[in-house]
Amino acid sequence: MGESGRYMYAVTRGVEPAALGEVGLDGGPLEVVEEDGLAAVVSSVDLAEYGEDGLRRHLEDLEWLERVARAHDSVVQAVSRLGPVAPLRLATICLDEDGVRARLREWGTELRSALDRVADRVEWSVKVYMPGSVSRTVSVPDAEPARPADARRDRGLGTDYLRRKRTASDARRTAEEHGARVAAEIHEELARRSVAARVLAAQDPRLTGHEGTMTLNGAYLVAAADADAFAEHVEQLAGGYTEVRVESHGPWPPYSFATLEQP
Amino acid sequence: MTESSPATPAESSPATPAESSPATMRRPYQSQAGMTTPPNPATLADILERVLDKGIVIAGDIRVNLLDIELLTIKIRLLVASVDKAAEMGIDWWRNDPMLSSREEGLTEENRRLQARIQELEGGSSDG
Repeated sequence: MGESGRYMYAVTRGVEPAALGEVGLDGGPLEVVEEDGLAAVVSSVDLAEYGEDGLRRHLEDLEWLERVARAHDSVVQAVSRLGPVAPLRLATICLDEDGVRARLREWGTELRSALDRVADRVEWSVKVYMPGSVSRTVSVPDAEPARPADARRDRGLGTDYLRRKRTASDARRTAEEHGARVAAEIHEELARRSVAARVLAAQDPRLTGHEGTMTLNGAYLVAAADADAFAEHVEQLAGGYTEVRVESHGPWPPYSFATLEQP
Repeated sequence: MTESSPATPAESSPATPAESSPATMRRPYQSQAGMTTPPNPATLADILERVLDKGIVIAGDIRVNLLDIELLTIKIRLLVASVDKAAEMGIDWWRNDPMLSSREEGLTEENRRLQARIQELEGGSSDG
């Protein structure tokens, strides 16, 4: 192994590396660098792979990215099981321990307040899908009730066709509006039940392999003690809507809420 | 009902109708095209969405932070032009990333405005 750097996974308030029960990237043992009451969980990585050139090259390799992302997430999860966690963005790398300490000093205030915000709290992901692709599944009614006056005046198949098209597009719009409304309702209700809430960018169903159109990709910060109740509430809430599919996943470490600025 | 799903371990247990999801529609779609994504576990898209786009941003000594991470998202998007692979892995959050897409829309819009302005100026120049 050539020159090595220190890959930072997360910051917490203090943790025994052995208690994490995880290893770092490429099997490197996890270590804890402490400064000022903050603890960064790090491991050594080869700068040939994780240096600027290496990263630039590797970040274009999805398999590499997946491996690193999953390893990063596993460590963050392990830290979150033991205490408050502020996950660092993927590929935060210092040359040595001094560099890590310097970051903890420099960002100490912000890190501490981020840890305060997420301490004893977990993140839940709740996604809402409308079945199918709304725009494709709305059927064109064969015999739609035309207004009598129109029916008399408008003659010819062309007009019928246009009218049917308009009805279909009205129906589509209604379905989309309804989908958005349901998503908003669910989000509002869950936001009320959580300490903080964020709407993340929707994921595309074609690429995630999920059925339907994702109308909500929400993240909710809830007290760890309330996590079960929250999950139950999501399920109950979901049961009230037969027209959408609701998926929840958690607990996540508070990725969406441990930010340097107030989310 | 054709149970012809290519034996994915995750689906081997007979799916009880009253499974966790209260969703009424659970279509065979799920077992399509070698897609082994079980209904609930975090997809790679979920993980990437969080480890790349959320969390604490602190510049390390190796500078692939902030700006470079944005660059990374663009790279992924370009890379993902070979969509099959991405689809398999469930990567696509960048598609609707407001930062990226709004920037593009912004550029398109700006382009349109500039073109209009040029036309306007060219038209106007004959007057003066």
